[in-house]
Amino acid sequence: MDTLFSIATVEAGIRLGLPVALAALGAIINERSGVLNLGLEGMMLSGALGGYIVNDATGSPWIGLLAGLLVGALTGGVFAGLVVTFRTSQVVTGIAFTIVAIAATTYLFQLRWDIGELPPRVERLGMWPLVALTLVCVAGVWFLFRRTTLGLTISAVGESPESADALGYNVVLIRWMATIAGGALAGLGGAVLVNGPLGLFIEEVTAGRGWVALALVVFAGWRPVPAVAGAFLFGLCDAAQLRLQGTATEVPYEVFLALPYVVTLIALVVRARRSHTPAALGDPYVRGAA
Amino acid sequence: MTSSETRQPTSGTTPSPESTWPPKLDGWLDAVARRATAEGILSSILVPVVSALAALLVGGVLIAIDGVNPLSVYHAILQGVFTKSRGFSYTATVATPLVLIGVGYALAYRARVFTIGGEGQYLVGAVAGTAVVTAGGIGDLPRVVLIVIGLGAAIVAGALWGGLAGVLANRFGASIVISTLMLSFIGDSLLQWAVRDGIRDPESYNANSRPITAAALPSFFGQKTHLGFLFALVLVPIAWWLIRRHRWGFRIDALGHNPGTLDANEFSSARVTLSVLVVAGGLAGLAGMVETTGVNIRLGQEASVGYGWDAIIVALIGRLHPVGVLIAGLGMAGLTIGFESAQRQFELPSSLVSLITAFVIIFVVWGDAIAARWKETR
Repeated sequence: MDTLFSIATVEAGIRLGLPVALAALGAIINERSGVLNLGLEGMMLSGALGGYIVNDATGSPWIGLLAGLLVGALTGGVFAGLVVTFRTSQVVTGIAFTIVAIAATTYLFQLRWDIGELPPRVERLGMWPLVALTLVCVAGVWFLFRRTTLGLTISAVGESPESADALGYNVVLIRWMATIAGGALAGLGGAVLVNGPLGLFIEEVTAGRGWVALALVVFAGWRPVPAVAGAFLFGLCDAAQLRLQGTATEVPYEVFLALPYVVTLIALVVRARRSHTPAALGDPYVRGAA
Repeated sequence: MTSSETRQPTSGTTPSPESTWPPKLDGWLDAVARRATAEGILSSILVPVVSALAALLVGGVLIAIDGVNPLSVYHAILQGVFTKSRGFSYTATVATPLVLIGVGYALAYRARVFTIGGEGQYLVGAVAGTAVVTAGGIGDLPRVVLIVIGLGAAIVAGALWGGLAGVLANRFGASIVISTLMLSFIGDSLLQWAVRDGIRDPESYNANSRPITAAALPSFFGQKTHLGFLFALVLVPIAWWLIRRHRWGFRIDALGHNPGTLDANEFSSARVTLSVLVVAGGLAGLAGMVETTGVNIRLGQEASVGYGWDAIIVALIGRLHPVGVLIAGLGMAGLTIGFESAQRQFELPSSLVSLITAFVIIFVVWGDAIAARWKETR
């Protein structure tokens, strides 16, 4: 068991927590504006593939991260078009969006690399630049909601779009921007996963991390700092599971495989009642309908 | 306000208890008649059909980009399903779990209970059923008895897995989308442990269970289609009857349209939420065991093939209607089976078929929004 509590495990936990932390920050911006983004997993996955392909082509993981950010923003824009402008059901569209993203990334990946052919490992970034990047994003999101008018406006749109509209704010535009920003951070998270700890893209590489990020947002009560703390908790579980898989222990390693999800489930239950859900979360806004 | 109007959950008004339960027949006829209006046909048939055609068109463009003639691919798909002797049989086999899980989703989604946990419930059902029928000392029982207790154990396990999400939602307000998803991942871990250690065949080199041949489902129509397809076919009219004629179905629709109505009539919406999750979970568990005993010889690590995810698409394209789910399930299965042979012939990526079905669902969602707007502005 001493290998479990080593510095290496903690480091692996941090590395595995970073992508989830970024996606959770994206979801916070998204949901504070009243748009529930169940397509987050798909956006993360799209960003991961974009980041991988561009890194492979240019040899620069930093350009790869930028590509992940842009691909994520693009998918956020498509999602905003559907749920904000066309006012489709946010739950159904989000689930469908993730299904499409899984199929599309797998398709593009299979198109580029034949089955059996080993996809190349790409240049990886070290842990500290990515930690710094994530900290900048956390600080940015914290500052946005605590210190800026724009952050307050986003929250107002998520709490009461009618009032925000009456005050002259453009609800549709703000929700569009928040959804694009959310997608961009999710895409960045996916690119960080691929260009950071893994250096490799495989089918469904995000493996449910986008959904974990969504659960963390509820757990964190829509606040950035607790969300990031939760992401590192998830990362630690993930790292412990990976570390124990190879070693024979009393406890079956599948327990650690399930542990992140069990912890998320418990967190969801513990925090759900006390959380401060944006009042208009999930409601499409129709001007003059309320 | 006429008395027939007050019985409609769709009308958004709060019906008085004595006029609502049990719902009288004239109210139902009214509802059926209202559904048969032009908008009803538009959104229930036209949108999915046009969406499917549009997705096939997008698929055709993608095939063409890949340098293959899309028409010959689609021709080969049709041939694979309709002219090959096994095509029908394989299609029915693949459609079986899709329809069983899809009908469960349809019932839940009608109540606006957005479970996506079918995959986990399917796996938990397969594990529980396999554990029971491969347990020591039980293998000497007659095959019929083994089949019944195996399927029963699977239904109970799936129902418990689904019901857990319902309890978490009702008692603690946990999001059903996320809790059912987490339970799916946990169910997969359970399967991995079960076949590696828990119910592993000690004589097998690979991580899988003992053979379940003693509880194998009888098959018909050639060698592949099994009794499970009959379950799916029987389930469809039962579900239709529940929705249209039974008070449980009425409560589901009431919860879906206006949850306040239920609570205002002192009928707990939490109970309806729990019951649809239990039923959907039981059906998914059944699907897991039906697939294990109808198609496979053992339960192995590769049991998670994604029927629980695909059935979400099937339920939505089938417009949450049991007959629609059956049609959508058969359509998706046919596309999958037909594509399997076409894919080998033309060397296409195997994921193309999931991409096409994924496009169908996006187009359906989009088409619904357009139809709703068209109705608004008219």
